[in-house]
Amino acid sequence: MGNWVAIGKLAGRVGASYSCDRMSGLSRRSFLHASGLAFLALAARRLAALVRPRPADDVPWKVQQVLKQLFGDRPIQAGHVQLDVPTVAADGRVVPVMIESDLPMSPDGYVKAIHLLVDNNPDIHLAGFRLTPQIGQAFVSTRIKMRMTSPVRAIVETSDGALWSAAADVGVTVNGCG
Amino acid sequence: MPGELGAARILVPTGIRRGDVIDVRALVEHPMATGLFRDPEGKPIPAHFINDVSVMYGDQEAAHFVWTSGVSRDPFVEFSLRADREAALTFTWKDNKGGVFTQTVDITFVA
Repeated sequence: MGNWVAIGKLAGRVGASYSCDRMSGLSRRSFLHASGLAFLALAARRLAALVRPRPADDVPWKVQQVLKQLFGDRPIQAGHVQLDVPTVAADGRVVPVMIESDLPMSPDGYVKAIHLLVDNNPDIHLAGFRLTPQIGQAFVSTRIKMRMTSPVRAIVETSDGALWSAAADVGVTVNGCG
Repeated sequence: MPGELGAARILVPTGIRRGDVIDVRALVEHPMATGLFRDPEGKPIPAHFINDVSVMYGDQEAAHFVWTSGVSRDPFVEFSLRADREAALTFTWKDNKGGVFTQTVDITFVA
């Protein structure tokens, strides 16, 4: 019990020395309550981060700028795209990427372009593949360089202007970009 | 010649029938230098990469790729093609230093 009093005195003194009114106004009980709540909130955030190890879900500002430049304000929906990348690429110089879409390739509706973006590369918009209905199936496979662990995004643009996307995180151990 | 800048190979399956959707694979030998690396003496290696690829099927462009130096060394690409006529399939790779490399393969059908 003596310890608690000491901490309370210390808290009071810290509060006073910085003349922080809110701090000095706190009773020991409410201070402990507040710190307990703060600890719980932090723990919850840590847990949430563990449950959701997918930074691919949120698009960083620099990538949003690139997307805006490419597609304007057109909405990008998830789906219709299958992106096949390794979860961990040992060599960032050669990372195999396969992009496939189940969208049709007929003259009255086809995949006009497949775009490949890597968030943490010097060139975010790594490649664009413009296709025609002559390409019987919306499918492209290539090998790319990656500077560091990063989300990889595939965005498919159809002839009527719709945008579909898929994203995946790729861990990179050896820098492939310099 | 293999090992030479711009040496290219195109691979299409054998025994194509009219209307088949075939797999086309192409590889061109190119350093794809990003401009961010240095040589052993510490001098920067200037950027040298293919940024434009055109695929002509007969007299029509079937696909057109826009690349950056982020595509790996000796860039490889694989895609599909609806083989509905017998014609030449020609790849033209262009790099940022004005280099142009072409390779052609004939799409022919089995009898």
